[in-house]
Amino acid sequence: MSGIVIGNTLRTSWKQILYWGLGLGVLGLYIDFIAMSPDIISGYADLFKAMPPALLQAFGASDLALFTTSEGWIVSIFVSEAAIFLSIFAVMAGLNITANDEQSGVMDVILSLPISRSAYMLERWIGYALIGLGIVVLCALITVAGIIGMNIDAPQDVIFKSIMNLYPGTLLAMTVTCLLTTVLRRRAVAIGASAAFVVVSYVFNVIGASAGGAIADLMESLSYFSYIQGEAFVIGAYDPVDSVIVLIAVLVGFALSLKMFVSRDIGV
Amino acid sequence: MGTESVIEISGLSKSYGSGSKQTLALNRLDLSVMRGEIFGYLGPNGAGKTTTIRLLLDLIRPSAGSASIFGMDIRADSVEIHRRIGFLPGELSLWEGRTGDQIIHYVASVRGDARGIAKHADELAERLDLDKTKRVRDLSSGNKRKLGLVVAMMHSPELLILDEPTGGLDPLVQQTFHDMMDEYRAKGKTVFLSSHVLSEVQAICDRVGILRDGELKAVESVEKITNVEFHWVDVTFRDAVPAGLQGQLENMATITDVSTNGTRIRMRMIGDFDPLLRAISGGYVEMLHVEEPSLEEIFLAFYSGDKEKIQ
Repeated sequence: MSGIVIGNTLRTSWKQILYWGLGLGVLGLYIDFIAMSPDIISGYADLFKAMPPALLQAFGASDLALFTTSEGWIVSIFVSEAAIFLSIFAVMAGLNITANDEQSGVMDVILSLPISRSAYMLERWIGYALIGLGIVVLCALITVAGIIGMNIDAPQDVIFKSIMNLYPGTLLAMTVTCLLTTVLRRRAVAIGASAAFVVVSYVFNVIGASAGGAIADLMESLSYFSYIQGEAFVIGAYDPVDSVIVLIAVLVGFALSLKMFVSRDIGV
Repeated sequence: MGTESVIEISGLSKSYGSGSKQTLALNRLDLSVMRGEIFGYLGPNGAGKTTTIRLLLDLIRPSAGSASIFGMDIRADSVEIHRRIGFLPGELSLWEGRTGDQIIHYVASVRGDARGIAKHADELAERLDLDKTKRVRDLSSGNKRKLGLVVAMMHSPELLILDEPTGGLDPLVQQTFHDMMDEYRAKGKTVFLSSHVLSEVQAICDRVGILRDGELKAVESVEKITNVEFHWVDVTFRDAVPAGLQGQLENMATITDVSTNGTRIRMRMIGDFDPLLRAISGGYVEMLHVEEPSLEEIFLAFYSGDKEKIQ
């Protein structure tokens, strides 16, 4: 692995860190801004009291008392919304790893060069994984900077860690998209399947968290959103095993992607 | 042309789909391409030329058979093979938002000698009159093709694999390309070139393989193919086709398939033009159009009963 493809991927796509990172950072600042006003948060809390727990869950919070604290508000709202936006980035990044170049025909030129398919895919994956990391770090820094700048009484390290916890799930959505493009080949079908994966995962998480019973628990465990533990950092109940499970799923998904990409026809 | 084969293909087949939808794109291809030769791979569209090339580059996998380049297996040793070859795809796609310079630098970096390769790329670009500073999306199809040629040739590969290399190039650049191919041959390098344009193959190739419906029908020297060449000739008279001309032409040994349509007479002709020009001199010739035979016609003439008829 020479790193040339990683460097090229970063050189051509680094602006995505700015666009996505700044965009999510602005969202973080907006949420910080609301956190300055306890009245607004109390208003939201009163609203949620009258609604089913599932709605609160959809906003990323399971405990109404925690939701009304500054850190609970910021983490619950930001992490749940950023997770959705990052899933969109992840699908786009997953397509960029090989599918877009294959669809356009550029892959014929690339694979006529002295680089193996596996090395190329690995370097592209690493390149986009670094871009994803850059986005998460940037939006976390901006959100924390907002807390400092607006003088909000909230633990900055906890909020930074809880936002960084979005990264494994982003990697998983990117890897699943990459896998789907290598299996399904047709880009449009892969986009549809990837979108379905994200949406179904989100729905499973909401239903699983708001309903009781074995089936609901199973649905929740199958959703990668359920492994993004925003609140857990705030209440000191973060379990690294959840992140490890997601990262293992990433490794397995990437290994399958590599196997498929190396063994099949290109551009057919 | 050397005696050592650079490309060795044995029983190579490729089919797509399965069951009743299975399509055989290439059927048990056996072929050797020697070091130092320019080998023309001729066939109409859909004959299997691009499939062969994509198999050689390990972009697609064979259904049966095997192939080697430089004595190395095309699958197991693809990275080492690709280090020593240059490739121009038939339908060239490059990164639309990037300049020629950026693409050259990236490809050269992957090849491992960015500085040395880039210098040669500059020379090639100058010869082909290519502006490397433009983004690909701003290049005409001919200029994209030039960039593709630079990318394929800039590391001075031992083997060039070119799929329809001159499509979209203007005649002057085509001539430059032909000169480059001559230089390649002189340096003992090998070129495997697919085309459906007979004149191009005639101009630069040493041997020709004729592919049809996924099967290699023959491998011949260019001279042999040229010997069976004929032309379609259209003569348009200002007033009317002179009386008795059709019969006169039909009796000429070098002319067949004569047909008249209004003031126009069409025929198939081999050999010198002089007998025809004398025969039509009785009328006022408004237009004389000579058409190169299609590859399919050459093929039919060469490998069917027409062969005797036109020789």
